[in-house]
Amino acid sequence: MSYTLTLKTRSLCEFTMNLERLPNEEKLSLCRKYYLGGFALLPFLWLVNVVWFFKEAFVKPPFTEQTQIKTYVKRSGMGLLFWVTVLTTWITIYQHFRAQWGELGDNLSFTIPLGTP
Amino acid sequence: MDFLTNKWIAYLALCLFFTGVCCNSVENKIYIKLNYTMPCVRLLNATHQIGCQSSLSGDVGVLHVLESEENLDWVLHTGLHPPYMVILESPLFTRSIMMKLKNGSSRVAGVAVVAPSVNPPQGFSPHTSCPNENSGVYSENYGPGLAHCNTTVWNPLGNGLSYEEFDFPIFSLKDDNDTQLIRQCYVDHNRPVNGSDPQYPLCAMQLFSHMSAVTNTATCMRRNSISFSISPEGVCDPLSDLNIWAPAKPLNTTEKGHKVGESVVLATARLDSRSFFSDIGPGAESAASGIVTLLAAAHALRNATQEAQLDRTIFYTFFHGETFDYIGSSRIVYDMEKNQFPIDLDNVHSVLEIGQVGLHSSSALWLHTDPVSRRNSSTDEEVKNLIHNLQAAAAGLNVSVEEPGVTQPLPPSSFQRFLRARPFPGVVIEDHNSSFTNKYYQSMFDNTDNLNMLYPPNLTPEEQLNHVTDAAKSLAEVATMVARALFVQAGGEASQTSSIKADELMVSRMLYSFLVSSNNSWLQDFATAETVSHLSNKTANFYISVEQQISLPTFLVQSLLVNLTGSTVNVTQEDCRNQRENKDDKDSKHLYSYTWVQGAAPPNSTEREGFCVRSTVRWSKAISPAFELNDYTSSNYSTWTESRWKEIKGRIFLVASHDLEMLTLGVGIGVLLTSLLLTYIISSKADMLFSSGREPTTATY
Repeated sequence: MSYTLTLKTRSLCEFTMNLERLPNEEKLSLCRKYYLGGFALLPFLWLVNVVWFFKEAFVKPPFTEQTQIKTYVKRSGMGLLFWVTVLTTWITIYQHFRAQWGELGDNLSFTIPLGTP
Repeated sequence: MDFLTNKWIAYLALCLFFTGVCCNSVENKIYIKLNYTMPCVRLLNATHQIGCQSSLSGDVGVLHVLESEENLDWVLHTGLHPPYMVILESPLFTRSIMMKLKNGSSRVAGVAVVAPSVNPPQGFSPHTSCPNENSGVYSENYGPGLAHCNTTVWNPLGNGLSYEEFDFPIFSLKDDNDTQLIRQCYVDHNRPVNGSDPQYPLCAMQLFSHMSAVTNTATCMRRNSISFSISPEGVCDPLSDLNIWAPAKPLNTTEKGHKVGESVVLATARLDSRSFFSDIGPGAESAASGIVTLLAAAHALRNATQEAQLDRTIFYTFFHGETFDYIGSSRIVYDMEKNQFPIDLDNVHSVLEIGQVGLHSSSALWLHTDPVSRRNSSTDEEVKNLIHNLQAAAAGLNVSVEEPGVTQPLPPSSFQRFLRARPFPGVVIEDHNSSFTNKYYQSMFDNTDNLNMLYPPNLTPEEQLNHVTDAAKSLAEVATMVARALFVQAGGEASQTSSIKADELMVSRMLYSFLVSSNNSWLQDFATAETVSHLSNKTANFYISVEQQISLPTFLVQSLLVNLTGSTVNVTQEDCRNQRENKDDKDSKHLYSYTWVQGAAPPNSTEREGFCVRSTVRWSKAISPAFELNDYTSSNYSTWTESRWKEIKGRIFLVASHDLEMLTLGVGIGVLLTSLLLTYIISSKADMLFSSGREPTTATY
């Protein structure tokens, strides 16, 4: 019984994409999907893309699709950086000025911690 | 299998049970909960927040019992273990000490004030020296020289503490076992002995009074109405209660607006008071003296007004929330202007207000009038007439009435809100010429002692209830004078007034009910079932509080007024509840209100025999018009709101030194890391360690 269980787990692992075992064409298409998906205001996809494909793009010995993967990873990285800057700036401004903005600040807030200005 | 699971569940339940029990008892071993905690809470108006608050998780500080003002240095500068939780004996609860603590608040975690059993002889009033300074009639446009108490400072003892903002919790403690425990804990652990610093563990106290609302009323009302948050939660509520009123003659109250041919004499008193702490508001002199006088006068006038056909109707009115920028009176004036009240301002002939009258025994009563409106000769004529009636009424009695100087403005009074609308003739009766006689204006010391309500020792509660105190006798005199003056003012014959007399015993019982214990046999007999559930053995709290709560004095005044001015009618309980005299009666409810009173039990029975009382007593909402108009920055109307809170509590416990706490935490983290490391090593070397050569067991799961 335990033997079958191990087998099952193993196949499950393979199913949930071990990047190592994926053919290079599929790697490229996956990277591309994540890159394009990021434009739908989903910077987290770019983050995942960068983390996931960093090794493939810059560390692994060269292979045919690597140049394209490199481009996607770089662009994802840029997009991510852009988002991080924008969000950090906005959050800083918002946290700093929310109380001063009064009504506007309250309307912009989803929850207001009780007992804070 | 089943058996196994059951066994496991049983084990688990047992474990949880033990953890539950042990945690509970650990908590009890660490903390001692304080039973009697009266907080100061946060109130907000158009521009400010006042009051106190703790952080969300409660403020913790090392206990320090302050012995003198010099001792503050320890708290604010030299003490080694800040922040401190300062225990103040009430003589030290002064403005100078509180402001020093406020300014050094980084070293102050909170303050607990021990209420004394004896009033401070030098007087104490946490209210401002010029109460309701900006909401009365006097302003730049109306008697500019009289505005802002320029000529008379009404409450010179007022230190304004109630209107300060503190960013730490302040609680009041009763002088009882808890306080004794706190002192003992301080002496045992925290007191520096022979100049050496106290050693850990130290005695500490934690106070919880986190307030949800912040900044001002506009902000908190806005946040009340923000609806898209996950859990919409109110943060503050407008101060609100009920105004109680009763015309001496039935008026159609369903029809609002002007009543043709009706002319009323308003006889008013204020229904509220406050103190620094929201749960304490004894208001003996500042509210109860006037209320009881007016109730007794209404009772004295019951028969006289029914027998004689008077030209004018006496209209008894009790305004709530007057302490907070005249909530009640401004609302009634607003309703009259907007035709939402059974009478309008044109129907009002004159106003007689009964202010603080409980301390007149040493001197005369003073008839305060408004010098600005009296410049008009016709108003002046009416005022003189009213003063004459009062003087004539006082002549046959043991009271003397006098007029203050003609240039003196009105003291803080509901009548000022009527004058803001238009010049009415009116008089405010007070026991002071210029500044208040009351040394404890709107403080926790404005109690029976302040009114000199003295009972002989060793009386049972029942005997106290029926004992006529000197304070009651003198108030009954005032009530008789007020009743006779009102009778003449309403057009009655001066010769008939001799039969009008206030009942001393009733005055004494009313004072007892308001100031000592409302849960007494006298009140129970004529209270409604609803009122009975609110009666308590403690002094009534005259603080107005928020909309959801009707204050006890409101219930008492309503019950008393119903029974003192109404008459018993032979109506079934069902008809009484439905506001009718019989099944076909559809008109009476416009004129009368019917109240089912639970009545007394006959001598040989425990079952109370209820009856129906027909009266003209009604209530209307006492909520500031600012909340009707959604104008939360109004300068015309009161904008006071009270913050909501989740938890008010206090507890004491011993704290270990910071180093020891850090050490414990460090060891804990160390143990955790070691165990993780060990697990990792063991699991990575599992093949070596557990190579017993056995076949893997075929588990059932």
